[in-house]
Amino acid sequence: MGASALLRFPTSLTRTCTVPRGLRRWETLTFLDRETTVIQVQMAGKKSCPSLPALDESELEEQFVKGHGPGGQATNKTSNCVVLKHIPSGIVVKCHQTRSVDQNRKLARKILQEKVDVFCNGENSLVFKEKREAEKKKQERKKRAKETLEKKKFLKEQWELSKSAH
Amino acid sequence: MKSWGRMLWALLSGPGRKGGIQSWAFSSWPPHSPLAGLVSATQLVSHWTTVFEERGIPEARESSEYIVAHVLGAKTGMSLRPALWTQPLTPQQLQCIQELSSLRLQRMPVQYILGEWDFQGLNLKMVPPVFIPRPETEELIDWVLEEEAQRPCTAGAQDGPVILEVGCGSGAIALSLLSRLPRSQVIAVDKEDAAICLTQENAQRLQLQDRIRIVPLDVTLEKSWTHLLPWGPMDLVISNPPYVFHQDMEQLAPEICRYEDLAALDGGKEGMDVITHILAPSTPAPEGLWVWVKSVFLEVDPRHPELVSSWLRSRPDLHLYLVAVRKDFCGRPRFLHIRRSGP
Repeated sequence: MGASALLRFPTSLTRTCTVPRGLRRWETLTFLDRETTVIQVQMAGKKSCPSLPALDESELEEQFVKGHGPGGQATNKTSNCVVLKHIPSGIVVKCHQTRSVDQNRKLARKILQEKVDVFCNGENSLVFKEKREAEKKKQERKKRAKETLEKKKFLKEQWELSKSAH
Repeated sequence: MKSWGRMLWALLSGPGRKGGIQSWAFSSWPPHSPLAGLVSATQLVSHWTTVFEERGIPEARESSEYIVAHVLGAKTGMSLRPALWTQPLTPQQLQCIQELSSLRLQRMPVQYILGEWDFQGLNLKMVPPVFIPRPETEELIDWVLEEEAQRPCTAGAQDGPVILEVGCGSGAIALSLLSRLPRSQVIAVDKEDAAICLTQENAQRLQLQDRIRIVPLDVTLEKSWTHLLPWGPMDLVISNPPYVFHQDMEQLAPEICRYEDLAALDGGKEGMDVITHILAPSTPAPEGLWVWVKSVFLEVDPRHPELVSSWLRSRPDLHLYLVAVRKDFCGRPRFLHIRRSGP
């Protein structure tokens, strides 16, 4: 089954979806990346999906620490971790970056959207494209800076020479 | 190795720890003691989590993380620079954490301990007993913003909307609306002086004082609304009024009972007292405020949609109807949108 079917027919795929390999890798990720934890399903075959897929809420499963009890005014909780799963791909994002459940939900969606994009589009994903752009700009800046420096050096030498000539 | 461990344990224990270990007065601890270099943030969080758990303090890990992160200059554990977790803490930092953690042992809410908290991306000062904004209320803001975004822009777009907030507390709702609706104006009222002061302070902190009027007012008092007439027509009323059912008040956690203003929570029988006063202000004059108000957004108890609905039916003179009920992130009916119908 092609990976392109992954996002278009989620229900059929969740039944046959491969079990996330590399749970060990997930544990390592927890260690290295404190902000988000990702479980990725390894899928064979090339992915071809629309670029930066918008997340369909019906394909997401969300969990947060819900206070026991009535909620609202009657409760005062500060735990606000959001765990968001993209069901078709199995990618899970955990976010407790901010103090706000609301913000964490939005952030989790943004992060998940990018991760799904990378998963789906690999090299062609927005994240990778932006990285390449940034790298390219950086190289260009370096080059210009070097040229400017050399020019300055040259002018200085010229000035030194003309000074000593008088 | 063992002896310094035991000393450290005794040192870091709060007063009255089980097992009768005497806690040393922190001030007697020499600041240049070699112990100072041996404790990291991670160890301290671990330590206080255990202490809190043993003493039955809810959210033991979250509380100790917030306290330690705060002392190290971060808002959350997650946003703290990873390197800071393993570096040794200074005696001053240790002392600060000790003091704040002692407050947590007294069940003080974390928001009061830190003296500040975030709401809709804004940082607000928190001072007991002014009511601490709840996470659900952030969704009320989202809803109002969605509705506002859908309003057609009138030609030659005016300033607005003009918003009345009843029971402003720390200013959370008023200030987040002001910051997200750059042309809006807010009139924020509260019956408690402490809330008036805190909202004023937070408005200034956020440089929003020019677009807010903060008025001491008890909306349950006869004719109180007439004081608001000078500020003209309001586009919408928003409130997180006291809505806890009176009989439920005794079940509130110590964090709430001991430190927050209970008048900000107690809604009387069926939690409806303040809600009904907002929907039916005791202004007999027909040219009262309500003629101008189009929309009301309320946060309520999950039992209120039914109760408010039937109450509105019993008061056809108000020309108000329940437009929509919105659930919070826990799936509980939490927010009401009420509109005025008719002339």
